[in-house]
Amino acid sequence: MSFLAPLFLLGGLALAVPVIIHLTHREKKDVVPFPSLMFLRKIPYRSVRRQKLRHLFLFALRCLALLIIALAFARPFFETSSTSAASSLGPREVVFLIDHSYSMGYEDRLSRAKAEVAGRIQSLGGEDLASVVAFSDRAEVLNQPTSDKAALEAAVAGIELSARATGFGPGLKLAKRILDDSELSRKEVVLVTDFQRLGFEDEDDDVWLPAGTVLTPVDLSTAETENLSLTSVTLERDEASGRERLTASARVTRKAPADGAPLTSRISLEIDGRSLQTKPVELEPDTSATIGFDPVTVPAGEARGTIRLEEDALPQDNVYHFVLSPGQALLVLNLEEGARRTRRSFYVERALEIGDRPSFRTASKVLSQLRASDLSGTDVVILNDVPSLPAAPAGLLSEFVKKGGGLVVVLGESSARNSFAEGASELFPAALGGVVDRARDWGGTLSYLDYGSPVFEVFNAPHSGDFSGAKFFRYRAFDSAVSGGVLARFDDGVPALVEHRLGSGRVLVWTSTLDTFWNDLARQPVFLPFMHQLVKHAASYAEASSWHTVGEVLDVERYLAMVLEGESEDDSPGRSFDLVVTAPSSRKIILPRTEERALLPLEEQGFYDIRRAGTGGAASSSSVAVNLDTAESDLSRLDPEELVASVTFRGTGAPGSGGPGIEGPGDSREAQEGRQGYWWFLLSGALLLLASETLLSNRLSMTAR
Amino acid sequence: MARRSDRVDPATGGDRLYRFVDPHVLARISNLSLLARSVVEGFISGLHRSTYLGRSVDFAEHRAYMPGDDIRRIDWRLFARTDRFYVKEFEADTNTSFTLLLDVSRSMSFGSEGLTKLDYARFLAASLAVFSQKQRDRIGIVTFDEDIVDFVPPSAKHLEIVLHTIDRVTSQKPSDYRRPLLKVAEAIHRRGIVVLISDLYDEPEAILDAVKGLRYKGNDLIVFHVLDPAELKFPYAEAASYQDLETGLAVPVIPEYLRDEYRSLVKQHVEKLTRSLGDNQIDYSLLDTSMPLDYALFHYLASRERLTRTR
Repeated sequence: MSFLAPLFLLGGLALAVPVIIHLTHREKKDVVPFPSLMFLRKIPYRSVRRQKLRHLFLFALRCLALLIIALAFARPFFETSSTSAASSLGPREVVFLIDHSYSMGYEDRLSRAKAEVAGRIQSLGGEDLASVVAFSDRAEVLNQPTSDKAALEAAVAGIELSARATGFGPGLKLAKRILDDSELSRKEVVLVTDFQRLGFEDEDDDVWLPAGTVLTPVDLSTAETENLSLTSVTLERDEASGRERLTASARVTRKAPADGAPLTSRISLEIDGRSLQTKPVELEPDTSATIGFDPVTVPAGEARGTIRLEEDALPQDNVYHFVLSPGQALLVLNLEEGARRTRRSFYVERALEIGDRPSFRTASKVLSQLRASDLSGTDVVILNDVPSLPAAPAGLLSEFVKKGGGLVVVLGESSARNSFAEGASELFPAALGGVVDRARDWGGTLSYLDYGSPVFEVFNAPHSGDFSGAKFFRYRAFDSAVSGGVLARFDDGVPALVEHRLGSGRVLVWTSTLDTFWNDLARQPVFLPFMHQLVKHAASYAEASSWHTVGEVLDVERYLAMVLEGESEDDSPGRSFDLVVTAPSSRKIILPRTEERALLPLEEQGFYDIRRAGTGGAASSSSVAVNLDTAESDLSRLDPEELVASVTFRGTGAPGSGGPGIEGPGDSREAQEGRQGYWWFLLSGALLLLASETLLSNRLSMTAR
Repeated sequence: MARRSDRVDPATGGDRLYRFVDPHVLARISNLSLLARSVVEGFISGLHRSTYLGRSVDFAEHRAYMPGDDIRRIDWRLFARTDRFYVKEFEADTNTSFTLLLDVSRSMSFGSEGLTKLDYARFLAASLAVFSQKQRDRIGIVTFDEDIVDFVPPSAKHLEIVLHTIDRVTSQKPSDYRRPLLKVAEAIHRRGIVVLISDLYDEPEAILDAVKGLRYKGNDLIVFHVLDPAELKFPYAEAASYQDLETGLAVPVIPEYLRDEYRSLVKQHVEKLTRSLGDNQIDYSLLDTSMPLDYALFHYLASRERLTRTR
């Protein structure tokens, strides 16, 4: 028998009431006058008060009535016969859910989990079927339901610590599926985990096991945990004396009982396996600190970096890896015409001199002197108000753009109508039109910006750049409809910035000048970020991440194209080479050329090495740093009962969908109510008792008179 | 003449004489003087008159002068008429002051069977007063509770006043013995017989302390301890709050658990009083209000005789 509201059993304390009444609160009589209480008061108090229970039957009636009322309010119920029968007869379908998230690496939790499950496997009956499911934030069935204990033990023994975080949902869903498929009447789930609170998400409330399932939690957590973890790393890169420098800082968090003593540890910075700096860390319980390292010079080429704390009970979260890619400066070539070039590119060059992510390197050249070699290594070419574009340089630029280069065409006073050669027509989305003069109405403004494009995306947030202050006195119109995408328009509808894709690259046409001759945009604060975004978009620049997190899926080919310069031209659907990935555990993964996309799930902590099959050397390979989800470092414990209740108890669920607590399979509401309806009988019984008590006490009272 | 030995229990009928000393019958008589005289006459009628002749203001007879007689007692007027020497004989006068100390505190108003202790004490006091008058004593009375309420100094002519005082007593205040009795001791200059009628609700030591003053001034002290039968037996059955008549304090009491202990305490109290008062040559007598008054009168008489012998 169980109770729906067991707290009402505290009402049993009301039994003290009749006891007190019988001991102290006798029938009230009139006050009896007595000449003197001199003698009565001499009798010790306890003698006066020490009274025996009288009318024991009446007393028993009162106590019984109160007890029954308390029981009735506690809503007793009995488990259904079907559930009871199911829990005592027949073979079982058992699912062992074993947590192998990296928090199970705390001390010996995983080995204890294995030992616990091994013991339970031995206690399985001959006809019982069992499955082993290893789960973290995803779940995996290690074997089909079987009664072969050796196979089960082997499956358990093969479970290794994963680098993933805890999540109860996937494991419970998988267990539910297994149990749903089972034809056995007795169902049981053994959940072996450290019950991390972070692993229990709100949506896990929607997971609940089939009716009649017994969920047995095996709690491997310890009451007091002490854990030092690296929760984040920040890398700042700057340039000093022509060399790129790295300034790393790490956030260290200590979770420990509040009354713990301060802990001293050491944190070190390693580049390519060499420890460069070590610093002490002292932390009080439940505090964090940021440790900054001194700047170090970034080595040429790709380098692997690691920040490492001294090992503790959970060593996995004491390491943070990152990859230092070579400096990704964008080379910008300004093509101008003759003597005025310096003046025209002045603002552009000044704007591009500032910035380190990426940094820009600018060069200038006269258009007529452009050679194919000038475009090698160049990311973006700015054609800054040239009067005409002859066929030869137009061909070079077309070829450059098709291969992925970026071209920014700036139209101005010199860019005469129809002055571009016919060979250059493919570079432009439309034929150039005449000059629009807005000087008479005090200049036009930019009225439309495509915030969806990477150029203006960063200005979308409030107070993130104001283009409305810039006045455009002149700009050039296109003669006919623009074939490319218009990224910005003036207030009269004339396109201000037009994007035109050509091959792998893109051409961006800015219809006014980038100096102060036709507009004052160059004097606006927004000019600098605008130029950066414009050039980065033209160059299709994407910043390579220094690290990834376990669980992410890496598009290997794209990643390689990003980090290995000069090898990104091939945009064809099929590759002509295999990709070989070496995981941190030295496991080799080959991504064959036949696969349309080379996607690599990142499952291990450390460095993945990626290279093209058949090539050797560092030049053709790259590293990917993979770190753990730092949230898993928080070992706060969830009450197992909370989890059990949320996945097994459904008092208001639909018929036939209840948990084992009070609902059996196919229970109707009437049947449920019937099993919980004992309170009604109890209350009736209590009322009868109270009525009897009233009669009896009245009779006793009258007799006494 | 009915002798004492002829009396039977009033509950069974009793003889005519005895009913005059039954307190419950006496309670029906509103005239206290009549009541007292009825009691005393009825009582005396069974006794030999034993007045003492001697010096007194009340002339009794003449007798012939005998050598040795005090010549001051010769009746010279009679000598002048008869030329013989006669001496005057006066009715005996005990020369004793008889003072009643009547406790009129609130506890005396208790009575479980209609007759209160105060009523009983009044009857007793009146009877003693009348009886003493017969003995030619000077009679006085002091009523007291926590202080002196009425004070009638002893005098041969104060019987009516004493009876009137007794008639109108009421119980209103709690009792105290020390203070009023010390005042009485200071006020009575002439030695005599002092009768204390009270329920003696105080510690024996305190009571002794209070009456000592009277005793030390040479008075002969007789203490009548008047209690109701309910006070002696505590016959109650039901649990209730018992309220002290003097203090108003109420305590819950379950008699069945306390009765024996209560009786034992009362018995100890009485024994202690008997012993401590006896040690100080103070006559003590416990009177139950259901007892006939003649018992008290006999006790008084016995004490009186004994005191006379002692003197």
